[in-house]
Amino acid sequence: SFKSFTHFLSHSLQAKMSRPVQARRLEGIDKNIWVEFVKLAATYSKVNLGQGFPDFPAPDFLTEAFRRALGGGNHMLHQYTRAFGHPPLVKVLAQFFEKLLGRDLDPMTNVMVTVGAYQALFCCFQALVDEGDEVIIIEPFFDCYEPMVKMAGGTPVFVPLRPNPPKDGRLMSSADWQLDPAELASKFSERTKAIVLNSPNNPLGKVFSRGELGLIAELCVKHDVLCISDEVYEWLVYDGKQHIRIASLQGMWDRTVIIGSAGKTFSATGWKVGWVVGPDRLLQHLRTVHQNSVYHCATIAQEAVAQGFQRELTLYGKPESYFIQLPKELQQKRDWLVQSLDGVGLKPIIPEGTYFLVADISQFKSDVPDDPNSDEPYDYRFAKWMVKNKGLAAIPLSAFYSEAHKNNYTNFIRFCFAKEEATLKAANDILQKWKQEKTSS
Amino acid sequence: VEFTKVAADPSIVNLGQGLPDISPPSYVKEELAKVAAVDRLNQYTRGFGHPSLVKALSQVYEKVCGRKIDPLTDILVTVGAYGSLFSTIQALIEEGDEVIIIEPFYDCYEPMVKMAGAKPVFIPLRCKNGNSASSADWVLDPAELASKFNSKTKAIILNTPHNPIGKVFTREELQVIADLCIKHDTLCISDEVYEWLVYKGNKHIKIAMLPGMWERTVTIGSAGKTYSVTGWKLGWSIGPEYLIKHLQVVHQNTLYTCPTPLQEALAQAFWIDYKRMDDPDCYFYSLSRELESKRDRMAQLLKEAGLKPVIPDGGYFMIVDVSTLNVDLSDVDEKQPYDYKFVKWMIASKKLSAIPLSAFCGPETKKQFEKYIRFCFIKKDSTLDAAEVILKNWNKQTG
Repeated sequence: SFKSFTHFLSHSLQAKMSRPVQARRLEGIDKNIWVEFVKLAATYSKVNLGQGFPDFPAPDFLTEAFRRALGGGNHMLHQYTRAFGHPPLVKVLAQFFEKLLGRDLDPMTNVMVTVGAYQALFCCFQALVDEGDEVIIIEPFFDCYEPMVKMAGGTPVFVPLRPNPPKDGRLMSSADWQLDPAELASKFSERTKAIVLNSPNNPLGKVFSRGELGLIAELCVKHDVLCISDEVYEWLVYDGKQHIRIASLQGMWDRTVIIGSAGKTFSATGWKVGWVVGPDRLLQHLRTVHQNSVYHCATIAQEAVAQGFQRELTLYGKPESYFIQLPKELQQKRDWLVQSLDGVGLKPIIPEGTYFLVADISQFKSDVPDDPNSDEPYDYRFAKWMVKNKGLAAIPLSAFYSEAHKNNYTNFIRFCFAKEEATLKAANDILQKWKQEKTSS
Repeated sequence: VEFTKVAADPSIVNLGQGLPDISPPSYVKEELAKVAAVDRLNQYTRGFGHPSLVKALSQVYEKVCGRKIDPLTDILVTVGAYGSLFSTIQALIEEGDEVIIIEPFYDCYEPMVKMAGAKPVFIPLRCKNGNSASSADWVLDPAELASKFNSKTKAIILNTPHNPIGKVFTREELQVIADLCIKHDTLCISDEVYEWLVYKGNKHIKIAMLPGMWERTVTIGSAGKTYSVTGWKLGWSIGPEYLIKHLQVVHQNTLYTCPTPLQEALAQAFWIDYKRMDDPDCYFYSLSRELESKRDRMAQLLKEAGLKPVIPDGGYFMIVDVSTLNVDLSDVDEKQPYDYKFVKWMIASKKLSAIPLSAFCGPETKKQFEKYIRFCFIKKDSTLDAAEVILKNWNKQTG
């Protein structure tokens, strides 16, 4: 019969679905810089200053806490904990952020634990952004903001940080990259649902000043807009600068979700423990997304991070605090890398925070000639060439720009300096050798 | 979420939420202790799954399935099987689609389908011949099932072994579903988290292995259920590259990577059991033997208390018909289904908790299932001892 013939046919051909399988929400969000560049680094790099993770160990007190939890005989740590956050962790986070924000926090309703800050961002966009909503994103931006806004059906609206090079010939600082207040104001419309703020900023390292935050806050209040505040690098600020939390500004607590990361706070990116802090009226919706997507986060890592925070709570403000020691160490590494790059003619933009540094590669362009036929921005081609031929991995700055603006800044690449001295020295060796090859050729 | 608050009260014997209170095997805990000492394992790993883990998974499942599984393209590691369900549904389901859900169902299927903008279409398992002594007595009516498929049907969600009933779908039953999937060009999302927990006389069959099904099935597994480590929250989706790649896109836009140390420890545990997959001591088989005796003990206790358990062929849940006790709760809140009221009454008066079955049903079938509650029996002996005391004294206190 015809039925059994088609039955046989589809069986023997092992036929795929004949209709389109994927959901339309995936349109335009399938490309991902990290998938490509992580693979390249894994294949070619001798020195990896690309993806943002430390190559020095997580602090002993943290790994000790992990071991203690495992050895403690409480095997229920291998089972589900509270879905919205392991009680010891949400409690200590509430205590910690109460101090920092100067307000009372309920660990059950003002804090939620997520699978890294990445999932916190996802919960924010899914919970708070709908089709027809606009979300303002400041360029350059951590690349996931754009696809996440799109996946939620929203429209990203971009506003750039613009470089104002210092007149006195000194090296640029991330502070020299600024928003134009009139330009920022023009991006707010009645469709604007939220603005994403990332301070300290990845990739530039900019630490927004009180004045700059005040400007953003005023606009949020005026237009009744939410603020998704990605503060994962909150402890990594240098030169005595202060990280200011926009949620502490007038009118902002009630419209802000603050995002944090144990990975960045405690140099343990592989643990994937993050959190959100905010008013219950916003967090209740993030909880809905969380319970319908991931539900629980792994217990044992949360237990260890809670211990880590307990320690920091007792040592807060003291010199032994990891939150004081880590930025001190990283500042030295920053300065070392700045010198290293400047020494060979790559112009670093000195970051005020984070463990990233962007450098101008104009002086090194001769190795990678322009190619008008290429569909890739120049810095992508440069970074790929550099990892393949020099074994040094870095990330092109245009990875942090929207499609429309990818060709605005194509002479910059981003380095991560959360690396052992030996790694930074090895990077320097590569750069020195490269410089020599150029001058002698 | 509602019923897990009960778990915090130590005076209540908690047979509700599906989490083991038995210890995971010692080598699993040891592997995690070992990884804590390795620095690089505290940093990011490969987004779609830690290399040693996807390699181990591909080996284990190649052996089970008898087909080649590419660790990099055919597998995605997720935050629990829950995360796999989410990634699959977000990747492949959208507005305008219909998704068939078999009732009773693990409660997240419905909200996840709705969140994707699609319409859930329910079909109940029905007790054949009015007899419900075993999970095998609960079946789908083939004509009724066929009537649920139409041109909008994008997928059917299959859960075998089944939570909450414990049904292990037979080859014939799977073939009926497969035939319809092929005929209507539908996907199959196969939640097989309890795949190793099948009891004597039963065999877990993967629908993806039926002819014509590999190319339209995403099969979901769970470390939590495999190794009694629900708190590790690691799961996986396995399927053909052209489907898995869309799940990977969702994953890279939702949480990007899963925790490294847990994935490494899991990989090591898998290697240990992979090497002894032909040996009865392999944890995949030894756990189910351990649970079978707990199942039998639980069933016996429930019967002695006058309750009617439905003996599961798989999984670690057992549903129980409580109507035989004739507990009159008509004066309690009328809007709530009977089983919700019964569980609340049982918690308060017997200090024993379970989950009401109507939590696992769509709106139309709540009445059909409201005389059942679900017990979890992956519990240590002392927990079952405490449950025994309550059940043995049950009739003395009933009034």
